[in-house]
Amino acid sequence: MPVISFILLGSVVLLPAVALWALRWATAAGQFRCPDKAALLPFDESEPVGVETDLILGGNRR
Amino acid sequence: MPGDVGAGSGGDVQTGGVQKAALAEIDASCRVPVLFFFLSGLGWLIAGSLLAIVASIKLHSPGFLGAWEWLGFANVRTAHLNTVIYGFASQVSVGVSLWLMCRLCRIPLPAPGLVTVANLFYNLGVTVGVVGILRGDSTAIEWLEMPRYATPILFVSYALIAVWTIVTFRLRAERHLYVSQWYLLAAVLWFPWLYGTAQVMLLLEPVRGVVQAAVNWWFAHNVLGLWFTPIGLASIYYFIPKVIGRPIHSYYLSVLGFWSLALFYNWNGMHHLVGGPLPAWMITISIVASVMMLIPVITVAINHHFTMLGHFGKMRQSPTLRFIVFGAVSYTLASLQGVASALRSVSEVTHFTHHTIAHAHLGMYAFFTMVMFGAMYYILPRITQREWPSNGLISLHFWGVALGIVLYVVPMSLMGFLQGTKLNDPTIRFLDVVQFTLPWLKLRTVAGLLLVVGHVAFVGNVAWLLVRMFEPYRKPVVRILTGEAETLAAGK
Repeated sequence: MPVISFILLGSVVLLPAVALWALRWATAAGQFRCPDKAALLPFDESEPVGVETDLILGGNRR
Repeated sequence: MPGDVGAGSGGDVQTGGVQKAALAEIDASCRVPVLFFFLSGLGWLIAGSLLAIVASIKLHSPGFLGAWEWLGFANVRTAHLNTVIYGFASQVSVGVSLWLMCRLCRIPLPAPGLVTVANLFYNLGVTVGVVGILRGDSTAIEWLEMPRYATPILFVSYALIAVWTIVTFRLRAERHLYVSQWYLLAAVLWFPWLYGTAQVMLLLEPVRGVVQAAVNWWFAHNVLGLWFTPIGLASIYYFIPKVIGRPIHSYYLSVLGFWSLALFYNWNGMHHLVGGPLPAWMITISIVASVMMLIPVITVAINHHFTMLGHFGKMRQSPTLRFIVFGAVSYTLASLQGVASALRSVSEVTHFTHHTIAHAHLGMYAFFTMVMFGAMYYILPRITQREWPSNGLISLHFWGVALGIVLYVVPMSLMGFLQGTKLNDPTIRFLDVVQFTLPWLKLRTVAGLLLVVGHVAFVGNVAWLLVRMFEPYRKPVVRILTGEAETLAAGK
């Protein structure tokens, strides 16, 4: 089978399969269950919600 | 675990058997590789900017540097594209992605030396490719011009970096995923698929006829939409909340935006071939998918706007926020312009004009590059543990590039539309249309010079920051490095 067939087969079958698997895994792992908490992931105890972290120019420097 | 969100990062929380690392520890682990990606990327940015200026001048003064054949327009323009795409944008993307992935996974970067070695080889690949283009070895395939002998080095070194990003993800201490991680993981998987497929179908076992054009535009359009765009959006979703200290407006909308981008973007490339000798259904599907892109674009725009609501004034104080918000707004504008340009009635006028060039710069520069500048303003002080030396250079950088890109995109979009209207009018001679564009092309050179001023200011500030790294540590007037800086100072 020529290389191009593998590529087309991969693009048509494999990629949607991977996408579906990722969606299924995410659902099963509860990734979509607590959106409010997921939105807090960039924050932690040292830089919690409410703490601004980059205000360095003019005005009220932190 | 989902329930762990907001728990401490001070090394006291176990999640999935892996201990969460402190932010300062994560930043320190990323120092060498991320710095290396940024510095080499900025080196290519300066080279690419100079090539762009030469190419721009040649458009209205063709005799400029005419004595050097290797600096002919075709070589210089192609070398510019490849240096900024593969040299600058891709390397900075990888640096930002690695840092974001480590921060969100709450682990230090594993084996940073390995990534640094991969980066060395990647730069070797870009150097070989750009020199090859200037020697006249270009493949003449849009966005894939690097000669065949350069691409294996690029592909293997990139694959190593991508694998390492996934390894970092697999070792994560925080089990729950933030939306930025979805975008980053997708981007590192999409790019090798795009690049590998296009290499095989266009260079190794070339397809025939118009299918070449179809594959070419599928690749070129998706590099922007499935490689740079996800990394740009991942950065926006992380940095806006971090800077203003407020979570994103709607996590649901952010997830909807990701999955709709994944579903629709891949189909878009064929709208560049409106009027071409391809089956009508291929182009029609592409136009429909382009219009469907309104879903992710509008969801992202709403989410970013409502997150920022009441905080826009902070752009005066935060360089990161200033660049990121400029980029986020430009993402919406570039996408809307892209949707409009995909329509047959518009494409019939704007295709083959400078309108397309303006659109590419609106997406690649006003959106993506501005977001990457913002990300570097946030990351560099943290990984070097030094403050930005000059606020004046930050302002010069922002205003240089902001004014430059506005002066580039707005007139070029308008000129392209007028140019297309004239080209479609059989009573107007082609030479008259060319002469009509000349004043606008001179304005484009002025805009390019403003961009270069901004780039030089940024690189100067980064160089100054690096010099400070080698000075004896002094306790800073705490501005950015709040908690971590004081801790480190006390420990010395």
